Amino acid sequence: MKELTKVKFTNLEKILFPELQIKKAQVIEYYIKIAPRILEFIAGRAIVINRFPNGIDKLGFYEKDLPKGTPSWVERFEKYSETSQREINYVICNDLDTLLWLANLAAIEIHMPLSKTNSYENPDLVLFDIDPEPPANFQDSIEVSFLLKEILDGLGLKSYVKTSGKKGLHIVLPIVTKYNFKQTREFVHLIGKHLARESELVVSEFSQSRDPETVYIDYRQNSSGRTMISPYSLRAEKLALVSTPIEWMELKKKLRPEEFNINSVLKREKVPWKGLWEQKQNLELD
Amino acid sequence: MTRTSEKAEPPKRPFWTGRISLGLVNVPVKVLTMIRDKSFSFKFLRKDDGCPLKYNRVCSQDGKIVEWDDIVRGYEVRKDEFVMFTKEELQALRPESDQKIRLDKFVHFLSIDPIYFDKSYILVPDKSEDAYSLLLETLKTQGLAGIGMLALRNKEHPALVHEYKDILVLTILRYAYEIVDPADIEELQKLPKPKDEELKLATTIIENLSGEFDITEYRDTFKERVESLIEKKMKGETIIIEEPKKEEVKELMVALKETLAQLQEK
Repeated sequence: MKELTKVKFTNLEKILFPELQIKKAQVIEYYIKIAPRILEFIAGRAIVINRFPNGIDKLGFYEKDLPKGTPSWVERFEKYSETSQREINYVICNDLDTLLWLANLAAIEIHMPLSKTNSYENPDLVLFDIDPEPPANFQDSIEVSFLLKEILDGLGLKSYVKTSGKKGLHIVLPIVTKYNFKQTREFVHLIGKHLARESELVVSEFSQSRDPETVYIDYRQNSSGRTMISPYSLRAEKLALVSTPIEWMELKKKLRPEEFNINSVLKREKVPWKGLWEQKQNLELD
Repeated sequence: MTRTSEKAEPPKRPFWTGRISLGLVNVPVKVLTMIRDKSFSFKFLRKDDGCPLKYNRVCSQDGKIVEWDDIVRGYEVRKDEFVMFTKEELQALRPESDQKIRLDKFVHFLSIDPIYFDKSYILVPDKSEDAYSLLLETLKTQGLAGIGMLALRNKEHPALVHEYKDILVLTILRYAYEIVDPADIEELQKLPKPKDEELKLATTIIENLSGEFDITEYRDTFKERVESLIEKKMKGETIIIEEPKKEEVKELMVALKETLAQLQEK
């Protein structure tokens, strides 16, 4: 073990997903195997982790600042936080060792900002967070996603979709890093408002986001310091689902988010978001 | 470890909250577990390395593991013939629980055959001390118990509310059809009548052994012997599960090697 990783695994027996009796060993194994796919998304970003040291049924906690006992080899990024009124040292996860160190901390969820640390205020991703409010469900999220895709296609923008690992979907646009968050936020909000006028299902304002049987297009994550669940991150949900990049073709009526879980995702051979980083798009809409 | 000598620990949370109602009077109560099963249980381990075993639901035909999501409930109507139920269907059939136990009949507590008694629960007033005391005092002085139906998540049972050690206790009752009728057991139908002198002798023996009932005189000696052996094993030659587990670490190593190779290719 020593020569393969710097990380000393502990408490491998700990059950992290009680419903499925999934132990920490399996969570670590998942992150080992998914590493080649997840690292390209989280690398160079000030990530936030959601830790569940006693399993997902017990209280978890979001951790922005370096966890206690962070080894010296872990890369970090210092940033003044307005909300916390102090410097925060974020973890930067560029390599397998750091990822496994996080997994060993029971960091089940890895959240990433939409910008890299080297251009913190300029996002390289735009996020449409499609969030259904019951009784609206995943199927309704799919319907709204296609409405959205139609508009983005019409604007000549290539969009990428992933499951949130819950009931929603995330639609992402890779962009050139020249806009600020206010601009990307406005862009997403504008399209949300447009869709809300076209479809009875869609709402575009946070104040309506809890209206029953609607699908909210959340634009607010397009902000400095805000994050989205990373592609291929596990979710702290009963069934150990994964926020999974999929092809638009796969997004069919009968698709269920449960199909993408700790076991099934590793068996997928598709690389649905291939070429995403080469697609640096402009948002100029003239 | 729970020792035989220990008392049953009081529960932290109520098991149910609701109201006892008699006509127009309501007594809000919290229902606490009263019976703690102290029987002994072992975990299954693999003999070679003490690895704990887990249970999987496996298809009886192809031997494959079936995920919870793909499981429905089936009632076997004939051999290998099932009627299927989904969670939602069963949900719809659940007894409607209005969180109320309506006491619609009062009987003498001692007139109830203890055979019907199932589990008992402690009733605690839920900001209803006055009404609770009144019901308690009335039942106690009259030696009465109230009967009503209790609707739980997936069963309905008749239940008794009665006095015990100056509090109210709820005792769930068995249905009549859950009790085997001794008249259906053939060997019991033609028992011989004992002779007079035999009867006299047996009565004398029994009288000599008669006394006050004290449940604390009885203990589970098997449990005690196992407990004392556990203590010995913990001091000496116990099976300690190696940490981290060999098998698991081996699996992680294999995965690690593959990933490292993949990352190097990139």
